Amino acid sequence: MTAPALEVRDLVKRYPTGVEALKGVSLEMGAGEFFGLLGPNGAGKSTLIHCITGLARPSSGSVEIFGHDAVHHYRQAREAVALAPQEINLDMFLTLEETLDLHGGYYGMSKANRRERTAELLETFSLTSKRHERTRTLSGGMKRRLTLARALMHRPRLLILDEPTAGVDIELRLELWQYIEKINNQGTSIMLTTHYLEEAERLCDHIAFINHGEIAAHGTIPELAARYGVSSLEDAYLALVGRQELSREHVEGTAA
Amino acid sequence: MSASQIRLLSLIRREVNRFMKIKRQTLGGPLLETFLYISVFGAALGTRIHTLHGYKYIVFVVPGLIMMAWALNSFSNNSSSILQQKFTRSIDDQLSSPASPMQLLLGFTLGGFIRGFIVAGLTYVVSAILLSLPVTHALVLIPSLILVGLFFAQCGVLVGVRAEQFDDVALYQTFVLQPLIFLGGVFYGASLLPQPWQTLTKFNPVYYMIALVRYGFIGFHDTNIGLAFGFLALATAALFAFNYRIFAQGRYLRA
Repeated sequence: MTAPALEVRDLVKRYPTGVEALKGVSLEMGAGEFFGLLGPNGAGKSTLIHCITGLARPSSGSVEIFGHDAVHHYRQAREAVALAPQEINLDMFLTLEETLDLHGGYYGMSKANRRERTAELLETFSLTSKRHERTRTLSGGMKRRLTLARALMHRPRLLILDEPTAGVDIELRLELWQYIEKINNQGTSIMLTTHYLEEAERLCDHIAFINHGEIAAHGTIPELAARYGVSSLEDAYLALVGRQELSREHVEGTAA
Repeated sequence: MSASQIRLLSLIRREVNRFMKIKRQTLGGPLLETFLYISVFGAALGTRIHTLHGYKYIVFVVPGLIMMAWALNSFSNNSSSILQQKFTRSIDDQLSSPASPMQLLLGFTLGGFIRGFIVAGLTYVVSAILLSLPVTHALVLIPSLILVGLFFAQCGVLVGVRAEQFDDVALYQTFVLQPLIFLGGVFYGASLLPQPWQTLTKFNPVYYMIALVRYGFIGFHDTNIGLAFGFLALATAALFAFNYRIFAQGRYLRA
């Protein structure tokens, strides 16, 4: 039996300030799934992602990635996962080629393997002509593409995309959607956080709502809509955050 | 080459790549500074102070300058590099990789160590040619310089990991390290100082580092060399263990 791509059990993250960002989160994501993690700002999405990728230390509970504990067997767990973060965090001293090459090196890829994969990804993301330029000279869209290419460099089995299309133009958004749908179809499990609900509707098989550090609901879009007694993901989301007065149905009803 | 070796080499390569990309600042500047010291103390002061403890003044001073170059470059490279990466969050790429705490610590440490080695090495080559600087006790000199480089590289890592702004790094370099190095006897022998300064100097750890390096180069010593070496080795090991604990726990780096 294939282990789930991600299994989170009773995860608690308490900061030294006393703030409890995660209050016993549990969720499971199947291998090959396209999973959406939705919630308002400050709900705990980034903290959860950081606990999964090793950037934050859980206070209690467990995280397993394809059956590997993210704390006790961090090497195997981190080899299987990759994060394309919301904020661009490229190394300004490196060229595009060096960015990908070093990332591959951190994951122990051989020189020949790194060279081949770097060329492939630069080509895929239309960055080949810029390969010798430093990352700081790139436009915002190119930086976003390079960030995604870097995450894919070591061929992760679970890719976490933290608001990958925030602030990008429509053309690039569609390009990114097509690409991530393609790699999902090829077997890569994907977790997506986004504030664009149409993005989640188009891409995700399953969705979890997180709010105040807890999973408020999870399921398919029809299941979530049924749970909140509404007809769309947007209305389900508004019900979650207690802002039903913003729903289109309500606004149109008021206008009439 | 194993995946683990590739990982460590990549971490070191990143650090070396950074300082080589800005080598006018990271290598050129420190080299010029060291040669200015040599010019001022050799050409100007050296004409008035001919010998110190029986050695030409400039030959007496240069070992301390070589040690100072290695120490300051190791420190400033690592503290700045780590803080910059924390600021831009580009350090997350290394932190979320399968690299172990030991590999991360070694990668950050050796970047500054190598930069210090290059500056100190070039200073030595020029000094050996122009000033006929001897190497009297290579078996003391080489391990001592390596330990000095590692010690200050570790100090740089510690300050970089804990720092929250560039002012924190400057604070340690300007108000702690440089005074300790200058007052540790780079430009004079401690035995020449009046009391209580002579005794106070012996509480300065850098004094023993300079004594070791000076002994390695020219053979002069005014302290117990074995004890000084033991102290330096112990201090470096203790600092390494302390930093390893920080990396293993993820304090200051992981939320």
